[in-house]
Amino acid sequence: MNTSGSAAGMATSSSGGIRIGGGGIVAGGGSSDGGGGRRSWPSTTSVSASGKRIQREMAELNMDPPPDCSAGPKGDNLYHWVATLIGPSGTPYHGGIFFLDITFPSDYPFKPPKVVSKTRIYHCNIDSSGNVSLDILKDNWSPALTISKVLCALISIFTNPDTYKPLVPGIAHLYLTDKSKHDELAAEWTMRFAR
Amino acid sequence: MVNDEVVVIKSPHQNSRNPPQKSKGVAQNGGDGKETLFSPRFRSVAAMAGWDEEALMMASIVVEDTPDRHFKQKKRPTLQSLKTPPTNSRRKRRGQRRSPSSLPVVALDLEDDETPTESETKKEMTESTTVRDKENKRSGSQSDAQSSIISPSSSAIPCIDRLREELSCAVCLEVCFEPSTTPCGHSFCKKCLRSAADKCGKKCPKCRQLISNGRSCTVNTVLWNTIQMLFPQEVEARKAAGALNSRQAQRQSPTRPNHTNARNRAVQALSSPESGNRSPSSRRGYQITRRQSVQPSRLSRRRNELPSQDQDAALALRLQREEFMGAFRGPDDEYRNSFAIARANLRAMASRAIRARGFFNHAEKKKWFQVLPLPYYSHKVAKEP
Repeated sequence: MNTSGSAAGMATSSSGGIRIGGGGIVAGGGSSDGGGGRRSWPSTTSVSASGKRIQREMAELNMDPPPDCSAGPKGDNLYHWVATLIGPSGTPYHGGIFFLDITFPSDYPFKPPKVVSKTRIYHCNIDSSGNVSLDILKDNWSPALTISKVLCALISIFTNPDTYKPLVPGIAHLYLTDKSKHDELAAEWTMRFAR
Repeated sequence: MVNDEVVVIKSPHQNSRNPPQKSKGVAQNGGDGKETLFSPRFRSVAAMAGWDEEALMMASIVVEDTPDRHFKQKKRPTLQSLKTPPTNSRRKRRGQRRSPSSLPVVALDLEDDETPTESETKKEMTESTTVRDKENKRSGSQSDAQSSIISPSSSAIPCIDRLREELSCAVCLEVCFEPSTTPCGHSFCKKCLRSAADKCGKKCPKCRQLISNGRSCTVNTVLWNTIQMLFPQEVEARKAAGALNSRQAQRQSPTRPNHTNARNRAVQALSSPESGNRSPSSRRGYQITRRQSVQPSRLSRRRNELPSQDQDAALALRLQREEFMGAFRGPDDEYRNSFAIARANLRAMASRAIRARGFFNHAEKKKWFQVLPLPYYSHKVAKEP
């Protein structure tokens, strides 16, 4: 599970992708910031580099978004993004829209972004306060990873939860013992919280 | 002081190596004043007057003592703003081998070294295009449509985006700047790879294989030349940005070069074999550097902003002050003595040179005025017809 998640993250997603409603957020945020994000951050030497990289990622996301997700700055702060994921079909999360908060550290490509789920979800790797346990967001982060790859990895844990390192062991246990029950509950949560 | 001598010896050498810079009209700042002191003409005059190399050195030690430290750093930005002519490879290698501890200097160095390769690659590019043009003309007689497809401008466009993607650094997502290739075969900007190794462990950012030594990353020259050929604008933009950054960094931390230099000098003074017979002067030099590093921010900031005049004034002031202190300490100080002797030598030399006339134009005379403290001159100038 672990390896599959990171492998999906590493692979470049070159598919055309489906443009979804979330794109509006991206476009709106993208046009108004840049300088704002840089100004509001405390000054270190690496700021301009991280800011540049984030802008680059934003442009790439606008040009060629990965399937079923979108992301962009929240307001005029370049380092604070909102992302949306659409539950992939064939999973109990199908049809749900999940919002994520992404916060970039000032030395961004060298330290992982912080991802917090804003939408409640029944998933063994995402706890009730929205913390996401994903290896590439912690120890296995690499500066070559981008937000679009992180989002791809998140989509992949929707389809294949990582039950070996769960954040909520009860859900993982249920997934392993009684998958149909787990799926039922997850679909119910999706209906309730993610629509 | 040993350091001073090295610089003095080097300066005419540098002149001969890249004369075009001067002819292009580099702003004559404080650093250049020294070179006029040691112009070949002046040397010949000195030789005629019976002054040997060592006496000149001694004199130069007195006059030159501290500004040398800033000489290199001050001059480099001006070099860089001009397009430097292609230099020989030895200098390039030396630039790359520089210690990574003094960051701004290294960055500037790299800029300095890239320009020649840039121009070379540009030359290559133009050559290749002309060759291709010729080919096109040859084939053009056969079919015009085909030649328009093959022509360089249109052939570059279709795959340029894919090339850009392929040649971009995964860390900064821009076209690789000075690409460095890992043992596992992935290429990144040298800087990006280095900071990735520093901050995220010595693993390849792409495949997580161990990089044996992050320090020893070298530029993949073939790739770098290719990138310079394909994306000249991007490379130029990044060069400009890098130059700006390093200049800012220099402005932000003006104390660092001073400190390192002082340390270097101390080390050199201790380790060099000559330190035995030249100890008095070297000791004095170290004292001066130490004194300067106590109040470095003020001095160096002033230096960065105002070029020659201020420097010379400061030097004159320091000489005067030293003389003053020497008077207080008394004549039994051995190194004071050597200092006085050296200055006397210099004075005599200056007066001879002035007497020789013809060899000195007005501007150079002016410089002499600024270099020596006023009291020494006033009577000499009065005597002069």
